Amino acid sequence: MSSDQPKTVDLTALSAQQLADVKSQLEQELEHLSQSFQKLRAAQAKFKECIGTVEKTFKPENKGKSILVPLTSSLYVPGVIEDVEAVMVDIGTGYYVEKKPKDAIAFYENKVSTLQKNLVDLEAIVNGKMGNLRMVEEVLRQKVMSSAPNVA
Amino acid sequence: MADVATQSAYEKLGEEYRKTQSDLSAYIEARQKLESQLQENKIVQKEFSILDDDSKVYKLIGPVLLPQDKDEAVVNVDKRLEYIEAEIRRIETQINDTRAKSEKKRAELISFQAQLQERPRS
Repeated sequence: MSSDQPKTVDLTALSAQQLADVKSQLEQELEHLSQSFQKLRAAQAKFKECIGTVEKTFKPENKGKSILVPLTSSLYVPGVIEDVEAVMVDIGTGYYVEKKPKDAIAFYENKVSTLQKNLVDLEAIVNGKMGNLRMVEEVLRQKVMSSAPNVA
Repeated sequence: MADVATQSAYEKLGEEYRKTQSDLSAYIEARQKLESQLQENKIVQKEFSILDDDSKVYKLIGPVLLPQDKDEAVVNVDKRLEYIEAEIRRIETQINDTRAKSEKKRAELISFQAQLQERPRS
C-alpha cells in the first residue's frame, strides 16, 4: 500500500524541501505501522486470555460448580457450569461455532501463532523504515548545516 | 500580474486537480476496507474447511445466535468472497483511472505555471 518505488534514489541529490517531504512521509508510515503493531499485540493478548479461560474453566471437575457471569464489567449474575464439553467460538464475520474445549484452545493457539508471525514480520518492516528515517534525517541535517553559512 | 481570465482558469485547474486527489484517497480508503473484509472472510472460510461436518454453526443476527446449516454457511462465505473480489477489481480500475487523470491534471497545472512565469511582467 505504500507508494515507494523499487528504484533507488540518491538522498544527497534531493533538495532540503524534498528531504523534508520524504521525512514526514516516513514518519506517517511509521506512525501507522506502530499503531498496527499495537493492535496486533492487543489482539494476541485477547486470544491468550481466551486460552487461559478455556483451560481453567472447562475441565471435568468444574462441572456443576457455580460461577459469576459478568453481564457488564461491574454487574454479575450467579450461574452454574452445566456443560464443560462445549464452548462457542467466534470465528469472524458473525459466525460462531460450537467446539470442544481442546479444539477451541487449538483454534486460539493457531491465532496466537499467526499473530506472532505477523508481529515479527511487522517489526522487521518497522525497523527498516526507522533506518530509512534516520538516514533521511542525517542527510537533511547535513544539507541544512552546509547551506546555513550562505543564509547568514 | 496575470489577467483575471487566466487567473480564474488557473484556479479552476487547481480545483479540478484537488478534486481528483480527494477522489483518489476516497477510493484507496474503500480499497483498504475491502481488503480487511477479504482477509476476515478468508479466515472464516479456512476455519470452515477444517471443521467437522457435524459441527454446529451459528450466525449472529442482531442480538441472537441463529443455528445455521454448515453447508449453507460455507456457500454464503464463498459467495461473499466472490463479491468482495469483484469489488476489489472494480475499485482497482477506478483507482488507476483516477490516478492517471490526476497525473494529467498535474502536468497541465505545471505547464500552466510555466506559461504564467514566462510572461513578461507588466
